[in-house]
Amino acid sequence: MVYVRFALFSGGRHVINSRVPDHAIRIDSLSKSFPPAHTGWRAFFQPFAASTSPALRDVSLRVEQGEAVALLGTNGAGKTTLLRILATLLIPTNGTASIAGYDAVRDSSAVRRQIGYHAGSDLGFYARLTGYENLRFFGRLNHLDDSLLRKRIPELAEQFELQGALGRQVRTLSSGTIQRLSLLRAILHEPKVLLLDEPTRSLDAIAAAEFRNFLQSEVLRKQGTSLLFASHTLPEIEFLADRVAILNEGELIALDTPAHLKSRHGAATLEQAFCRLTGHSAAALGGPTPS
Amino acid sequence: MIRGLRDLLLFFQRDLRIASTYRSPFVMEVIEALFGAAMFYYVARFVDSPELRQSLPQGTTYFAYSLVGFAFFDYLHAALGSFDRSLEEARDTGTLEPLLVTQVPLPVVIAGSAMYPFLATTVRIVVYLGWGAALFGFPLRSANWLSVIAVLLVTLLAFSGMGILSAAYLLLFKRGNPAKWFLLSVSSVAGGMLFPVSILPDWLQILAHLNPVTYALDAMRSALLDGANVLQIARPLSILLMFALILLPLSFGAFSWALRRTKITGTLSHR
Repeated sequence: MVYVRFALFSGGRHVINSRVPDHAIRIDSLSKSFPPAHTGWRAFFQPFAASTSPALRDVSLRVEQGEAVALLGTNGAGKTTLLRILATLLIPTNGTASIAGYDAVRDSSAVRRQIGYHAGSDLGFYARLTGYENLRFFGRLNHLDDSLLRKRIPELAEQFELQGALGRQVRTLSSGTIQRLSLLRAILHEPKVLLLDEPTRSLDAIAAAEFRNFLQSEVLRKQGTSLLFASHTLPEIEFLADRVAILNEGELIALDTPAHLKSRHGAATLEQAFCRLTGHSAAALGGPTPS
Repeated sequence: MIRGLRDLLLFFQRDLRIASTYRSPFVMEVIEALFGAAMFYYVARFVDSPELRQSLPQGTTYFAYSLVGFAFFDYLHAALGSFDRSLEEARDTGTLEPLLVTQVPLPVVIAGSAMYPFLATTVRIVVYLGWGAALFGFPLRSANWLSVIAVLLVTLLAFSGMGILSAAYLLLFKRGNPAKWFLLSVSSVAGGMLFPVSILPDWLQILAHLNPVTYALDAMRSALLDGANVLQIARPLSILLMFALILLPLSFGAFSWALRRTKITGTLSHR
């Protein structure tokens, strides 16, 4: 972290510390364990159980400003846990995580000012409110003015082809449409860092491709937002990510550009490189490749 | 401060908007209040006797006494249950995590979500008493409204602490509201809801005097039925304030600890 001090008055009484972060996301030796799930009478003591099941082990990672990094790994590899720590929804067991120079545990409210987070589910909206009312509510909670929201929500809705959803109660929308609303909510306040967990999971092929294009052209290139996203869709990762972080059973086993990952492991595709790194057979991924 | 109030108002607007999409419950509650008031009126007529009138405060009918007790219990119910119910709803609808990654701290989320239930309960009580006054002779004209508002606010503060403790319990244990269960169960007997605590055996009277509900009900009946001014109900008000001063910091501390614990165990959004 670089601190720049501006002395505003000659007496030096009023000094502003302007924090110029060296990385958008900085993760150092991060570990996270969860308590084992108890059943029966022992479940009553679950809130006080010791954390013994590791989900992340000694992960260190940097994401530069304006960079897009993908998290790739099998189910349970620790991708969501990592994103949730950065979103201040989990407290790590060891190590530190910071966003724009703010520690995710000690300065969690400052971290929340920097981030947009999409959890990858189609929950998280008030079913009886319309799409617009939901977006306005969450936008206002991120301290955006009503006048700005009146302008920005329709603009973004047009980009996401959500104009029809703005006036309808969320309970009447499809899960793909709700997921697009959730993505719109994550970027509504123009966060400096975007954390997306499987952003195109429920989207149809066209909506997914449009979202990826929007993310690349508007969010990454124009706004210079940093992106950390988890995905199982390898073409999506190759399209969006500057670098790929491969997690295996909670450990970061590789962090490089898609091209380097392929060349270093003598693989023709990212899928092959991933399988070689994680010790899985490529045949295990033999299903149709998502578009 | 102003931003905090604005944030609280946002939650109120949200809940008002959601409530407005359900039309029939309001009409049903107004009708339910009419039958509730009628029930107390006829029970009071049935049990009325010189002995009963002797046990009640001077000049009070059993109908007025029991209606205030019942309506006020509704208010306690809201104060004790709104915080954990709003948290439970947010968790079950999946809105808890999106709320937690906004720039509004969780205590504001919880307090804001409790505003609408408090106001809705206040309206319901007014409807109950309104029916009582319009149809069954409830003595609304003798009320000192300034004292009534003071009692409501101080009661809200005193019992919100218990409500926030319940929300902390819900965060950790996922189900149940022990504060509500304990306080409402005990208070239904040793709180003076439907009969004066003076008719209880000595040991239950001691319990009643340790129970903040007894003071809240005493103060409310004095303000509503006797027209007592704020000075005349200063004692129960100060006892309730003392409860608030002890319980509110304690409950906020417990809630913060529970929230941190659920972020460690990863059970924040678990049911």
